[in-house]
This record gives sequence, C-alpha cells and structure tokens, in this order.
Amino acid sequence: MAINREQAVAAASRGASTRVAQVIAARFKVGDRIRIRNINPVGHTRVPRYIRGKVATIERAYGVFIFPDTHAAQAGEKPQHLYAARFSARELWGEQANPLDNVVVDVWDDYVDPI
Amino acid sequence: MSTNHNRPLSDVEIRVKALESLLVEKGLVDAAAVDALIDTYEHKVGPRNGAQVVARAWQDPAYKARLLADGTAAIAELGFTGMQGEDMVVVENTLDTHNVIVCTLCSCYPWPTLGLPPVWFKSAAYRSRVVLDPRGVLSEFGLEIPAEIRVQVWDSTSEIRYMVLPERPAGTEGWHEAQLAALVTRDAMIGVAKVTHPNE
Repeated sequence: MAINREQAVAAASRGASTRVAQVIAARFKVGDRIRIRNINPVGHTRVPRYIRGKVATIERAYGVFIFPDTHAAQAGEKPQHLYAARFSARELWGEQANPLDNVVVDVWDDYVDPI
Repeated sequence: MSTNHNRPLSDVEIRVKALESLLVEKGLVDAAAVDALIDTYEHKVGPRNGAQVVARAWQDPAYKARLLADGTAAIAELGFTGMQGEDMVVVENTLDTHNVIVCTLCSCYPWPTLGLPPVWFKSAAYRSRVVLDPRGVLSEFGLEIPAEIRVQVWDSTSEIRYMVLPERPAGTEGWHEAQLAALVTRDAMIGVAKVTHPNE
C-alpha cells in the first residue's frame, strides 16, 4: 500500500535513527589507541579501504547503532558501539601529508582491534 | 520533476520517469507523495536552515555549547529534524583547526540543515581527493589554509551527519542574528569555504 502525501512528509520530517536503545559494554573509550582490522568482505561494508590496517585514536564515542554490514545482508541488526576514529594524515598517506592534519572516520566495533 | 521542455531528456531522467510511472501504475507510490517530497526538498529544506543554526550559535554561547554537545537536540530546537539528520554532530572551526566534511563511500549529507548535496559533493573527484589532499582541494575552492593550521577531514561513513560551525567573521560584532545568518553559506558549513564579511 503506497503511503500518501501526509504520511510521506511526516516520515521525512521525522526520519528514522539507526541508534539502538540497548545497553552494551563499550570496548573502547575516547583516547584509546586502536587499529582497524584489515578485512575485505564481499558484501556491503562501511570500512573504507584507506583505513584498513591503520592506527587511530578514538575521538568520539557515539553509543550503540545498527551494524550496516549485517543489516544490509538481511542478517540482523547486530547492534554495537560506533566511534569516530581520528587518523593522522601521515599514518594514512605518508610523508607527503601535513603532520598536523587528521582524517576522522566513523567505525563500528567489529572493525576495530585494540593495540 | 520540474524540467524545461526545450531540450531532450537525459537517459537518467527517462529512466526515473519510467520507474516513477511504473511505481504509480502498480499502486506502490502515490504521485502526490512524490510531489510533496520534491516540493519539501526543493523549496522548504536547504542551507538557510543551517545558516540559522550557525547564527544562533554565534549569538548565544549557551546555545553553542548545547549545539556542540548534542547537535541533534540543539538543531531540533530551531525546528530542523528529519531524514538524513537523525543523528547530527557539529564540528567547530577554531583558531588552530579547520574542519571539512565528506562522504567517501557515497553522498551522505545533513539534509535538514543543508538541503540536498551539491553535485560536486557527490563526485568521485571530491570524495576521493579531499581525504588524500585536503589542502589541494580546498585551494581549488579558493580557500588557502596556512600550513600551521590543522585541516581535519570528517568522513561520514556511518549514519552520523556532520556539519561545520564556521568562525564568525571579524567586524560583525553587534549584528543581529538575521544579518549574521545571511552571511553563512552552504560551502562554509561543508568546510570548503570561510564565512567572510561583506566588505572583504
């Protein structure tokens, strides 16, 4: 059944957060040093290649969200912590980068190993 | 879809029209609902919303603190909510850091405050290069960031939507919020420009 005009506008102005109200112990906290797993899944993933295997610092901890890798594969929401990970541009790109510059990338728990 | 009828439709436009008419014929989509959504994002939602948020933050330190602590809630105070803005994070430009937003994986963008993304934001050229050479890309936008100022690129890989709180330009002390909002550009809230005083 198609949604009507009012329903469409209401849904757009409400949105649908992928945050999950579930209490899960966080493995990491702001300031922790981490390494992104070098994973190469065949299906949907949100871990960009340029950060795989790279070292970062947890910049922000966002709480628990749906995990897109499993959700996109219709394999469940697998709720888990989401973080903003701060990479030095030099860690990603080498000496050509300005030593002050950073790239911050959102990463889910399943992408991350402790150091 | 609004089109001028003095040119042939592109392949994408033809495909979209075919898809839309099929969906409508099969009763899966209500044409009035599509029109209402297009009207919303063409006329009602856009970067003037974000500009109001920025101007309020410049005027009201308590609002700015709330905005940086919980962007979603502070932006909702001004009535801006909805799709692609469910979980907002606002990052502040400071004396030593300039922020810029990208979505390297696709085209994630904070619709309720900035509207729909410009074409260049979705282009492979911007997405692939701004993480690797942000200073070079900013320079192409006419923005030179001194080497001693940090450039921090935020890659929107999750459902968090990012927006930059630009620096308030010098010489705007005592201005009203509406005057300030008029200075704030979309590009400044993406981070590929600064907000400048009109006399600059």
